[in-house]
Amino acid sequence: MDPAEVEFLAEKEIVKIIPNFSLDKIYLIGGDLGPFNPGLPVQVPVWLALNLKQRQKCRILPPQWMDVDKLEEVREMERKEDSFTPPPSPYYMELTKLLLNHASDNIPKADEIRTLVKDIWDTRIAKLRLSADSFISQQEAHAKLDNLTLMEINTTRSFLLGSLNCMFKLRSNMQPGTSAGKAPDY
Amino acid sequence: MDSQSYLPVPPGVGMEENFLSLDDILLSHERLPSRTECLFPRLGYLEKSTDSQDIQEGTKMELPLWLAKGLYERKRRVVSIELPKVYREGWRTVFNADPTVVDLHKMGPYYYGLGSQMLHFDSPENPEIAQALLQTFIGRFRRTMDSSQNAYNEDTSALVDRLDTLERGLFKMGQRGLNSFQGWEKGKASHLTASALVLNYRKRKMTDLQA
Repeated sequence: MDPAEVEFLAEKEIVKIIPNFSLDKIYLIGGDLGPFNPGLPVQVPVWLALNLKQRQKCRILPPQWMDVDKLEEVREMERKEDSFTPPPSPYYMELTKLLLNHASDNIPKADEIRTLVKDIWDTRIAKLRLSADSFISQQEAHAKLDNLTLMEINTTRSFLLGSLNCMFKLRSNMQPGTSAGKAPDY
Repeated sequence: MDSQSYLPVPPGVGMEENFLSLDDILLSHERLPSRTECLFPRLGYLEKSTDSQDIQEGTKMELPLWLAKGLYERKRRVVSIELPKVYREGWRTVFNADPTVVDLHKMGPYYYGLGSQMLHFDSPENPEIAQALLQTFIGRFRRTMDSSQNAYNEDTSALVDRLDTLERGLFKMGQRGLNSFQGWEKGKASHLTASALVLNYRKRKMTDLQA
């Protein structure tokens, strides 16, 4: 899976905007998007919010979790715990990138938020690598990892699966009785 | 995007080889020291050291893996294969001590693959060989993972130097994951670039043709 595909899936998340135009309720296949009145906040998916913002038709309000104090708390908890803490949002990395690239004027302290999110990401990826390493070195059969976001899984997926494949190959050498297709004895 | 029109056949699992896998075909070119157990009449031209017309019993030769596997029979003794020194007791203790310092590329670029194939030849040390292969892989895994995930946009030839072919494949996969993530973060996905084909093709313009 491409990171671009993960970003595409992240654009379905709901975010609050304040439009400066008015429009009646629109009925889309995915759901209804409520009537737009200038100055009144309305909930829309991120793809629409970015599009309207680029056409300068709205103002994006940062989501609840995108706040410096809250992110600092999350970062401290992440550093203390050995296991994964619930992320601020299942798509925190993608939303941060999208919103901060297109709507940084609507989000207070954008640079600090970017740094904090990067710290949280680095801590989680380091924990992921540590647990992958212990998984392989102790030759466990399966592992359970809660609270991982799709982006994190996506970056590690190909490498981890490849190495588990190799381990399987090498382990199947230890049971020669189960291998099929040995040369027949005449 | 990850989908390709040509999907290369990966090397086989453990003791099996995939017939169409290029890695396995190259692997089977590795030579094994072996000793003939019976006479090979009129094949003397293969053995350059002696001038006789046949290959005598008990000659020591180096046979490639594909030939050795085909000729090996447990009951009717045609050839007997010796383990290459990398898989023997001495080297196994080295691997047990510290797997990360060994230059696996020099030890035969297909250390793991050849080791798995050696298990076909019913040596009494088979379980130890299999165990040593597994432990070496596990020992080196951490180093491979760290180097592949942290080397972005730099010359990786120094890192890849001491890795065996299997590990190089893993390294490349890790690099690919890292590069695609970093590329996404920089916004390369929305940046249009001319395809390499078009740049190399250098179409002739109509005005050049008419002149």
